[in-house]
Amino acid sequence: MGDPVEAGRVLSHLAEIEVVAEEILSTRREIIDMDRQRNKTREAIRALQNQKKEDKVWLCNGNMFLKVENAKAVKMLSKDFEALDTEVSSSRARLKPQVKKLRDLEMKDELKGFGLVALTPEERKSVENLL
Amino acid sequence: MGHVMPSAEKVQEIREVTRIERIGAHSHIRGLGLDDALEARQVSQGMVGQIKARKAAGVILEIIKDGKIAGRGILIAGQPGTGKTAIAMGMAQALGTDTPFTSIAGSEIFSLEMSKTEALTQAFRKSIGVRIKEETEIIEGEIVEVQIDRPATGTGAKVGKLTLKTTEMETIYQLGQKMIESLTKEKAQAGDIVTIDKATGKITKLGRSFTRARDYDAMGAQTKFVQCPEGELQKRKEVVHTVTLHEIDVINSRTQGFLALFSGDTGEIKSEVREQINSKVAEWREEGKAEIVPGVLFIDEVHMLDIECFSFLNRALESDMAPILIMATNRGITRIRGTQYTSPHGIPIDLLDRLVIISTSPYEEKEIKQILRIRCEEEDVEMNDDALTVLTRIGMETSLRYAIQLITASSLVCRKRKGTEVDVEDIKRVYSLFLDESRSTQFLKEYQQEFMFNEMVPDEMETS
Repeated sequence: MGDPVEAGRVLSHLAEIEVVAEEILSTRREIIDMDRQRNKTREAIRALQNQKKEDKVWLCNGNMFLKVENAKAVKMLSKDFEALDTEVSSSRARLKPQVKKLRDLEMKDELKGFGLVALTPEERKSVENLL
Repeated sequence: MGHVMPSAEKVQEIREVTRIERIGAHSHIRGLGLDDALEARQVSQGMVGQIKARKAAGVILEIIKDGKIAGRGILIAGQPGTGKTAIAMGMAQALGTDTPFTSIAGSEIFSLEMSKTEALTQAFRKSIGVRIKEETEIIEGEIVEVQIDRPATGTGAKVGKLTLKTTEMETIYQLGQKMIESLTKEKAQAGDIVTIDKATGKITKLGRSFTRARDYDAMGAQTKFVQCPEGELQKRKEVVHTVTLHEIDVINSRTQGFLALFSGDTGEIKSEVREQINSKVAEWREEGKAEIVPGVLFIDEVHMLDIECFSFLNRALESDMAPILIMATNRGITRIRGTQYTSPHGIPIDLLDRLVIISTSPYEEKEIKQILRIRCEEEDVEMNDDALTVLTRIGMETSLRYAIQLITASSLVCRKRKGTEVDVEDIKRVYSLFLDESRSTQFLKEYQQEFMFNEMVPDEMETS
């Protein structure tokens, strides 16, 4: 007890764990923020679709306001929506190896099976009775 | 909070009484009791002593957990009452629920319902798991408001809005006809926590939000309160399942409908079905959709198997999808069933060659005392030290199993005389009531003329 080398090693191990944990938490926050943004974009697209196509609407981009045609606004928002979708997917993909690393550092067993390719709906139906 | 009706309470009581678990002979075993360096602790996780055998079992456990080496055979051999089945139970517990563990006794193979090879094949396939994953996008949140508008004209479609929230965000969804129908059918209302499957549109109610717990004074007995979901509204749910090859065989070979009643479900599965399934699983493996999880098949009393079964085992061990085979026997040099030849443990030499053999040795007095103490705890019996010492002595002279069985008997005798602890008198009483094997043989030798169908037994069975 009181061995400074050992204490140093324990501290650095704990620090490593904290770093990985913080990375995971920040990825989670990213996903949540993007989902929030995605939902707002979807609501906006819905609201615009209820108006006539030729009307001009105000669109806020960053700190700039633009007056564009309804149809064009819907197209811009849809593009944003697609981009957010892809971003969320890639963040989730990043999350998996991060969690794997954390469990490794914490000396926990690996979570088995999450690297598998998911079954298609037909395939799932074939083993439905077992699940 | 909702009130509880008196009749509901009674129903619960009845249910609890019927859930008494049967206490098996090895139910006190929770694992192998090894530390991180795979050294066996003297008393741990229900296992006592038998250090070398437990260490060996621990090494094999690591091989199994690695999962990369399949088709190995292990034989646990030793005198009766030396912990062979206990070690296998310990290994099963240590492997956890992820790895398939099938346990059969040698004599189970012989049944009228199916042939020996079919029974063995089924046992093997029950020990090989297939891991698969399903993935769905779901929207999970607490309903803030459901607004459904009927069209003014009476013939249009209904329109609706659904406001969902989580702890981090809130949003409004426009509802189509089908969603409105599902919502109405599920009787979803504000305060309910729901999950909506994006692909199928299915709505599942998870419960009501805690914040709405005080809304009403009288609620149904089924009301479940759940916390408001956290994080994003649209989540990706991934579930990993492990099914065994045998289970897949069964659902694919079941004869449909009432024809099964007439043709008679033999329980035998056609080999074409199995081949189809093997190729399908191999295909999924190629595509990365499935993982093979080789498990453990434990065959107790393996000397009961005959020469045909052993040839089958030889071949089965060589397949690339074979599980780890653990066998146990207490026979010494015995005749191999189905032949006139003898061999060690009643197992042909060519199979013995492929096996790693762990031997168990009889317990010492201290160990027997410890085991009896653990069993007393497991069976919920209070015993004082003198009684335990006497019981240990009995265990040493007769057999461990006999002493374990006296535990419950003596606790009943103790309860009859309204005592709190089992003491020496109780032990003496059950000892005189129930004979062990050697006293029983003695008795038979003296009074054999009085018994029906008496005949002289030529040789005693070799058990060491």
